[in-house]
Amino acid sequence: MTAPLLAARGLEYVYPGGVVALRGLDLSIERGQKLAILGPNGSGKTTLLLHLNGTCKPTGGEVRLDGQPARYDHRALNQWRRRVGLVLQEPDDQLFAATVGQDVSFGPLNLGLSEPETGERVREALEALRIAHLAERATHALSFGQKKRVAIAGVLAMRPEILVLDEPTAGLDPHGVTHLLGALQQLHEAGTTLVFSTHDVELAYAWADRVALFHEGTVLCQGGTAAVLGDREALHRARLRPPLLLEVAEALGAGRDQSCPAPRSREAVLTLLQERLGEPASAVSVEPAVAHSRRGPSE
Amino acid sequence: MRAIDHHAWTNRWRDWHPAEKLLPAGSLLILTLMLPPLTTAPLVLTGMMVATVRGAGVPLQTLLRVLAAPATFLLAGIPFLAVSVDFAEGVNLHLSAEGLRLALTTTLRALAAMSCLAFLILTTPLTDWIAPLRRIGVPAGVVELILLIYRLIFVFFERALTGHQAQTARLGYSRVDRSVRSLGLLAGNLFQRALAQARRLEIGLMARGYTGELRVLAPKHVLSRTRLAAGLGLVGLVGATSGLLARGLS
Repeated sequence: MTAPLLAARGLEYVYPGGVVALRGLDLSIERGQKLAILGPNGSGKTTLLLHLNGTCKPTGGEVRLDGQPARYDHRALNQWRRRVGLVLQEPDDQLFAATVGQDVSFGPLNLGLSEPETGERVREALEALRIAHLAERATHALSFGQKKRVAIAGVLAMRPEILVLDEPTAGLDPHGVTHLLGALQQLHEAGTTLVFSTHDVELAYAWADRVALFHEGTVLCQGGTAAVLGDREALHRARLRPPLLLEVAEALGAGRDQSCPAPRSREAVLTLLQERLGEPASAVSVEPAVAHSRRGPSE
Repeated sequence: MRAIDHHAWTNRWRDWHPAEKLLPAGSLLILTLMLPPLTTAPLVLTGMMVATVRGAGVPLQTLLRVLAAPATFLLAGIPFLAVSVDFAEGVNLHLSAEGLRLALTTTLRALAAMSCLAFLILTTPLTDWIAPLRRIGVPAGVVELILLIYRLIFVFFERALTGHQAQTARLGYSRVDRSVRSLGLLAGNLFQRALAQARRLEIGLMARGYTGELRVLAPKHVLSRTRLAAGLGLVGLVGATSGLLARGLS
């Protein structure tokens, strides 16, 4: 088996003030995954993400890129950040230029691209997030959801192999979440590996294909979404509850074994419910929706 | 400040090349300072106000509010110009024709000069000045600082506003002594948050390959010779009219 694209081995990090954020953590990210790093607020998720692009240097253990231990010299870091794009939770921490187009052009210009190429990248990134119409707008005049998409476009314009997002849905309304996840899904289908942190169990259940359960600076378990989120004991230890959809599906008798996997989408669970109640499937209207969001304080 | 910024971004002349606005407004400013103010200043003031309101479509009220702040300082200064103090026999205050004339010309000149600046800031967003500043050789560090301050002022302003609202909601401004205390707390909090924000901004920029230079694509504006010529024509007209009027008056 080839080495994972990006991995953490025995990662430890102690903040200069003595606060221990990560305690011997293992994580691997394979090419093409949609990995959710799921954990409660204040568990150190953001600190972990800052290690994934070399912003923080671990005080113990190591990060591996393609199986090679990461180096922290200037050139290696540039190379690393070219491959791993990091989107912070608060878009105001990331957007610095006065207009949307200018902000998105920052990354590609740093890659050394020419101005025409950069213009092309900017257009492409804005279109991928469906915000091409905002290109000439002032950054400070945008809504929170728009800023969030601009922040992602700014990283996307560098065409990273891995896109790391800190709480991408935090603070977005349901429509904003659907919109964002749609755009991310397209990126994923185009081959980008996605890693995102969240405390939203429902979001992880509906959208991730792998989940790393994170608690107090360590990964409790990492695996397929259904397996990890079906592990009640581990979830309880991480101070999280199983996803409602999974609980309902299980109460209806689904997901007990391999022959009958638990449905992942709201529509599928409603269909299952209607079957069990013996009503025709069309009796209850089904609204398409992806997930809901809650805004947590930053970690 | 938010109103100024809003109009700078949305006025009808927003997409003009900055030189088309800077050259006429700058020339008028120089005319105001060089030619006799009694004839020039009213012309410049009228011209710039018409350009701002009729041309660029900025509401008159906004323009007046922009002019009001410096005008207050001017008014406060008038007595000191118009009244002269004589110490020959005790203290004597008297109005002199000379002093009044000086006060009038100074006020007119200052108002006209301010109308040129108001026109520029109300019709051209700051980003349009960045490329010209770089071109005339302002150091990159200074230009970047201007950009960052411009961007962060709004973040900071919003935090200050929400912080103030949150304090008000908990009766932080219900008495004078509480207000002083609340304001102090808010200022301290904003300072800390600004520092934390700067640190996080650096992380965000480094993630996008920041190596010490904030380079972005410059906005593209096409210089219209017609508009530039029209603007400079206006300057010529003001200059000529003022000269003729001055000759007629004397």
